[in-house]
Amino acid sequence: MNCEKTQEKFADYLTEDLDEGSRDEVREHILSCAACREDLENLTVVWAKLGVLPEEQPGGGLRHRFYAMLEEYKDGLEAKGKTARATGLLAGWREWFTFRRPAFAASFSAFLLFVGLGAGWLLNSGRAGGERLTTLSREVQDMRQQVALSLLGKSSATERIQGIGFSAAVENPNDTTLAALTDALDNDPNPNVRLAAVDALYLFRNKPGVRESLVRSLAIQNYPLVQVALIDFLVEIREARAVAALKLLIEKNELTPEVKKRAEQGLKQIV
Amino acid sequence: MNADNPEREKIGRMSPTDNELMEDVRDGRVEKLAVLFERYQTMLYNFFLRLTGNRAASEDLVQEVFMRVLKYRAGYMGDSRFNVWLFQIARNAHVDYLRKRKSTLPLDGQYVETPSRESLPEAAYEVEREAELVRRALDRLPVQKRELLVLFRFQNLKLREIAELLGCQVGTVKAQVHRALKDLSRIYLDLQKGNVS
Repeated sequence: MNCEKTQEKFADYLTEDLDEGSRDEVREHILSCAACREDLENLTVVWAKLGVLPEEQPGGGLRHRFYAMLEEYKDGLEAKGKTARATGLLAGWREWFTFRRPAFAASFSAFLLFVGLGAGWLLNSGRAGGERLTTLSREVQDMRQQVALSLLGKSSATERIQGIGFSAAVENPNDTTLAALTDALDNDPNPNVRLAAVDALYLFRNKPGVRESLVRSLAIQNYPLVQVALIDFLVEIREARAVAALKLLIEKNELTPEVKKRAEQGLKQIV
Repeated sequence: MNADNPEREKIGRMSPTDNELMEDVRDGRVEKLAVLFERYQTMLYNFFLRLTGNRAASEDLVQEVFMRVLKYRAGYMGDSRFNVWLFQIARNAHVDYLRKRKSTLPLDGQYVETPSRESLPEAAYEVEREAELVRRALDRLPVQKRELLVLFRFQNLKLREIAELLGCQVGTVKAQVHRALKDLSRIYLDLQKGNVS
């Protein structure tokens, strides 16, 4: 075999995809050809060097954004089916007045901010600037929480996911908001909403009771993607109380092999 | 991740293949895309990260890929492997990203943090330093060669799949991989010797 034919096989040689016969041919050639031998040695070294680059994990926000997009798309498909022939100005306006439209979302946020600023100004016009700003900020946060709670009670999964998005934007959620998020995680019929709730609760992992709720929830979730998201979360925060819950989970017969493997890996990482 | 792929074994014998899931998505059961997302999000993220060196941009690109999957789902024929189809979309998204990007920052200017000797044990420091050299060497390859090596080395695509993706003969891909690895080896050695800053 000449040099050209030998070098053609180098890529397969590196990935060990050559059959025994071809491998022997390559070995035989490089024994008698110093140039090809050196070439293959260099390639083998750089191939191994590439292996030191670690695989990274994307942030939890990506999952959140994906599921929001998917729900939006599904809702769009359903709406399209129902109102295929319902066109006209009214339909257009109704569509515009939804959170799906960035323009409406932006206008609504601006409206909330305006209302918050106005309320703050009326209530606190006599106070000092710093105190007024704090109050205004709190007012806006409260309103955001109210919008979140209202959306979480809607029948559309898209709106509930948007509600979770609003909750996630609250700096210091109150107990009611946290309870609503936990309730969404435990009881929402839509797994995408439950996944979004996991991501939002991750942001509030240092609030009292949140970690306990997540550990408890692991036992009642039965949808593999939610189970995996919860396991990832608990492993990332090294939650010692999750050990028992993970052990119980692993013993469950109905667990998918992928989830079981992830739970076993997680258990090793926590312990 | 079709039936002839060991990944199928990992997912479980009863799990649907990528192709079956994508056919469901094409036929209107779009919620099945969630399973494909869970299977591929990390792989795609690392593909983009090694090409762009930018974590935020890589997450945006993964999202963009799945948006395009929904947009073009009706055109999915199922006659080629799903991962080839998906990476074709990913490559197009990356090309569009490069077109839109105004300033060209090299990889090592964006995400490579110079390891600090004080903060790491000696062995970990050496591994991190080695990884940084490899990243810088990869960054200095022309984008086509870098993409080829990322697909071949990290995405576990077979040579015939890459040939299908690039629309060329397997023999051509083998020759290109050989050249790209030789170039990378030369750049790496230059960096190691300190010939290139």
